[in-house]
Amino acid sequence: MSGEVLVPHPTGDTKEFWEGCKEKRLRFQQCTACGHVRWPPSNLCPNCHSFDFRWIEASGRGKIYTFTVYHMAFYPFWEDKVPYITAVVELEEGPKFLSNIVGAGFQNLSCGTPVEVVWDKAGEYFVPRFRVVG
Amino acid sequence: MKLKDLKEKYAIVGVGYTPQGRVPGRTALSFHLEACANAIADAGLKKNDIDGLICYRRFRSLLGEPEVTPYFLAQMLGITPRYLTQEANCARTHLFHAMAALEMGLCNYVLISYADNALSGRRTFTEEDTHGEPPGDLLLYGQTGFTADYAMAARRAMATFRTGPETWKEIAVAQRRWASLNPRAALRNKPLTYEDYYRSPMVTEPFRLCDACLISDGGRAIVVTSVERARDLKHPVVAIMGLGLANPSYDVHQSPSLAGPTGAKEAGRQAFQMAGITLEDIDACQIYDCFTYTVEITLQEYGFFGPGEGESWFKDGATAPGGKMPVNTSGGLLAEAYFMGLTPLSEGVMQLMGRCQDRQLGVKTGHKEPEIILVSDNGGVLQSHCCTILRRL
Ligand SMILES: [Zn+2]
Repeated sequence: MSGEVLVPHPTGDTKEFWEGCKEKRLRFQQCTACGHVRWPPSNLCPNCHSFDFRWIEASGRGKIYTFTVYHMAFYPFWEDKVPYITAVVELEEGPKFLSNIVGAGFQNLSCGTPVEVVWDKAGEYFVPRFRVVG
Repeated sequence: MKLKDLKEKYAIVGVGYTPQGRVPGRTALSFHLEACANAIADAGLKKNDIDGLICYRRFRSLLGEPEVTPYFLAQMLGITPRYLTQEANCARTHLFHAMAALEMGLCNYVLISYADNALSGRRTFTEEDTHGEPPGDLLLYGQTGFTADYAMAARRAMATFRTGPETWKEIAVAQRRWASLNPRAALRNKPLTYEDYYRSPMVTEPFRLCDACLISDGGRAIVVTSVERARDLKHPVVAIMGLGLANPSYDVHQSPSLAGPTGAKEAGRQAFQMAGITLEDIDACQIYDCFTYTVEITLQEYGFFGPGEGESWFKDGATAPGGKMPVNTSGGLLAEAYFMGLTPLSEGVMQLMGRCQDRQLGVKTGHKEPEIILVSDNGGVLQSHCCTILRRL
């Protein structure tokens, strides 16, 4: 299925996040009552149940919490892209974010490896992926 | 009412099997019906005795078939159960539902059924609703299905304590040896060596194909009733001695404790407390084994060994026929068939009833004849855990 372009599917909760991604800004909700930064987005702070929040822009830096290397694809779009890496990135601001690790340095990945965001064009959006720092 | 008061009050009295493995040309419904009818007959009951029906798990139907809802299954079984439900998101609460319906006096006999034509219908188990992200957004990253999610859990474990393929190969090899004794097991004629394990292709690193469970056609069903009623039925009474449940719930991408404590720790604690026994009393284990690593983390959380001690604990066939602690004596989800929690649970029941033929624990396999068997069930990606302790009365 080459030629297929995968694009984000904003929901009522994720719309703000993806709007930020159009401008390569990685933004998360921060609870204004307790400071907890959350992902995925929602109207309620899971930590203190405050409905009040603001959007903050993340640095885009974090470290790998865990990852896997796909040697087999389970969806046609990804078939010619194996091996590829998905990872849970723990961002400096706190949230864990599922994405890809792209670029050089594949062989030396481990939990804890520092990474930073890179932006990948997808339609009118940029999708946040991550590369190893340095 | 405390859980402890329900110790050995309820029993599993019948098990229903079907042809299994690759069985083309059959509907999911047909496997459900065969498993259910066989379980009812196995218990020595009539269909109209069944007043509770629990379908193990909802899946979208395959091959253009109608979805096997519990309504449809009841209709086609020709029963009108007072209590009826179906688990939709992989929480492993079935025995709690069954016992609650029995304890409330709503039901006398509860039937629990799982069936699927997953192999012939090419179910990929990639449409699961276990994550907070919209499915379309997960595709942006290529994150599809349980295999990668469990691989991420296993990878985190590798970074947290000593584990990895050296430990998991022991689990894969031992279960394949059990499968060789089970004529129903899909991989009964496919022995596995350590070399074979390492040659097995990588799927989602660190998992190889040999770390992953089967996809199966077929079904399995059981009947739950009171111990009092069980005493009047055909088989030796296999009572539910202990039961524990925990639902950590967190999506694997958001889990604050991916490498433990997992739900197994809390569910295990509850089950042992209810049963009033310790690990020393366990004669065998039937552990939910969607992946080899799931067996390791479950037994570790139950306390059989400390974090990172699995490699030495599993070494040299410790869980294989003749080993110090038999685990997954049917071959399990890895080597017998994938019927979710009913694969391990039904095997625990059959072993305690003494009906396992060549793989029957006892003199033949070099073990003690079992009286108490520990069974686990695990749903989502370590999001739900049920621990059951069975005892032959
Ligand atoms: Zn808050």
